[in-house]
Amino acid sequence: MALLDVQHLGMRFGGLQANVNISFQVERGEMVGLIGPNGAGKSTLFNCLAGVHNPTEGRILFKDRDVTGSRPYAMARMGLARTFQVYVATGDLNVIENIMVGGFMRSRSPRVSREKAESLADKMNLAGLAQERVANLPVAAQKRVTMATALATAPDLLLLDEVAAGLNPSEIEQMIDLIRWVHHDLKVTILLIEHVMELVMKLSHRVLVLDSGRLIAEGEPAAVSRSPEVIKAYLGERYAAEQRGDIGPRTSV
Amino acid sequence: MEVLKRTFDFSDFPRTDLCVAGAVALFLLIFPLLPHSSFAMATMIQFLMFSVYGMGWNTIGGYGGQVDLGKAQYVGIGAYTTAVMMIRWQVPFWVSLPIGMALAVGWSFILGYPLFRLRGHYFAIATIAVSLVLKDIFEAWSFVGGARGLKIPLRTDMPSFLYLQFREDYYYYYVILGLFFVGLFYINWFRQSRIGYQLRCIKDNEEVAKSLGIDAHWAKIKAYAVATAFVAAVGSFHACYNFNIEPEDTMSLDLSVLIALMAMLGGAGSLWGPIIGAAVLVPMKNYLGAWFGAKAGLVGLDLIIYSTIIMVIAAFEPRGIWGLITRLRESRRN
Repeated sequence: MALLDVQHLGMRFGGLQANVNISFQVERGEMVGLIGPNGAGKSTLFNCLAGVHNPTEGRILFKDRDVTGSRPYAMARMGLARTFQVYVATGDLNVIENIMVGGFMRSRSPRVSREKAESLADKMNLAGLAQERVANLPVAAQKRVTMATALATAPDLLLLDEVAAGLNPSEIEQMIDLIRWVHHDLKVTILLIEHVMELVMKLSHRVLVLDSGRLIAEGEPAAVSRSPEVIKAYLGERYAAEQRGDIGPRTSV
Repeated sequence: MEVLKRTFDFSDFPRTDLCVAGAVALFLLIFPLLPHSSFAMATMIQFLMFSVYGMGWNTIGGYGGQVDLGKAQYVGIGAYTTAVMMIRWQVPFWVSLPIGMALAVGWSFILGYPLFRLRGHYFAIATIAVSLVLKDIFEAWSFVGGARGLKIPLRTDMPSFLYLQFREDYYYYYVILGLFFVGLFYINWFRQSRIGYQLRCIKDNEEVAKSLGIDAHWAKIKAYAVATAFVAAVGSFHACYNFNIEPEDTMSLDLSVLIALMAMLGGAGSLWGPIIGAAVLVPMKNYLGAWFGAKAGLVGLDLIIYSTIIMVIAAFEPRGIWGLITRLRESRRN
């Protein structure tokens, strides 16, 4: 059975139908990309999966249990972790303490979760920043903190919400390596929302494309990026031409 | 074992802090041996009481970031439990103390459940409202003496440690000093515990906290109960120390605001904050209040000073005096 099984999920906010009849599965060990234009309903879908919204239609099965409408903390305890696009941490927790809070989900002991946080910080290139406030860090480091904090809960499935947004090309390369490490070494299944195509195409085994709340395509990255419907809705002619090699890649950032 | 170690583990503070804290602790221990006026002794006892009130408030208000302005009702529950049990059934203080704490904590669970469905200002206003309702109930309830309150009669076997009745104030002083140290060590454990970190995360960002498996609603209720246990304990002590309790002085809005103010002025969310706040505010309240009221005839000027302090904290340094000290240190390091 699939780790995550979404069946005919629909989410309506008053008159706005943000998600319409979405069905897909994520197998254990997969890395799946979720793309689509702004307003396509990607974040709404994430919020439904993470328990922030209670979907108005359909079911969500996680580890073969019906978890539709579970609260966020219950989803987290079941093994579904998520990162945040904008990691607002204005308060007084520093980097290592933030990661510790994630670790506290599995252990009462401050010693155990501190050790876990320190080893994660070490591996995610945050060790030198351990005592810094998250708000004072550059964007790339903030993204690593939100990932480390989520990983400290020892999840089976990690939802990554635009972890490459706002990063420069070399930081994107590092992020790709980091996600590979999470997937391969920590054995975490990953579902990622992303606008940075380079990252999606390099990492995903499979790509889901949302447009106007509907799932319009699903398949291998190469196949999806050739699909006329996806090019029309999201990727654009220019991207398709670049991929075919008709024109050179854009050099500007 | 690990728990015990953390209770007495202050190693994350710089050495200067620990030296100052040690000196203050020593001063507190020998204060009754130094020459002092009875007014100074009363001020010191009040300082210790308000420190413990502030430490309690700090768990939910400081670490948890939920501005609670209704703590006086739990002072009242503690004080009335002790007074009623002592007057009607001759129950010793040390027995009624835990009963008062348990009643207050039970009541706090009942109130906390709906209260923490609210956030920010709505929460603060609701805590004021429920506290005032309980005060009104006590004022109309003849079993607890109504608006005139209760008077604990002096015992013939005085002085009595069991019933906490002494002729000299320094006995009371050492009892409340004991509570002060128990509270301080408890908070030192609390701030390094799982619930302590979880509350600080909730204060930073509740959405993030929930995504990390924290049941934010339940965590707040638990912290609220801890805060309640602290203020109820001091409430019980207050009943024995003052002999005389009435709703107006144990459950008033003034007291609720003062409790929150101690911690906020000193530094909400820090271990030393409430103690610093009480050390500044209580002497100021007593000496300035007496001076303005009696000599200059300016009754109520102290209230203007409190409100000015609140505004200054809110505008310049939400972390209070401790925040200022932290900021100075950081700027000196860079």
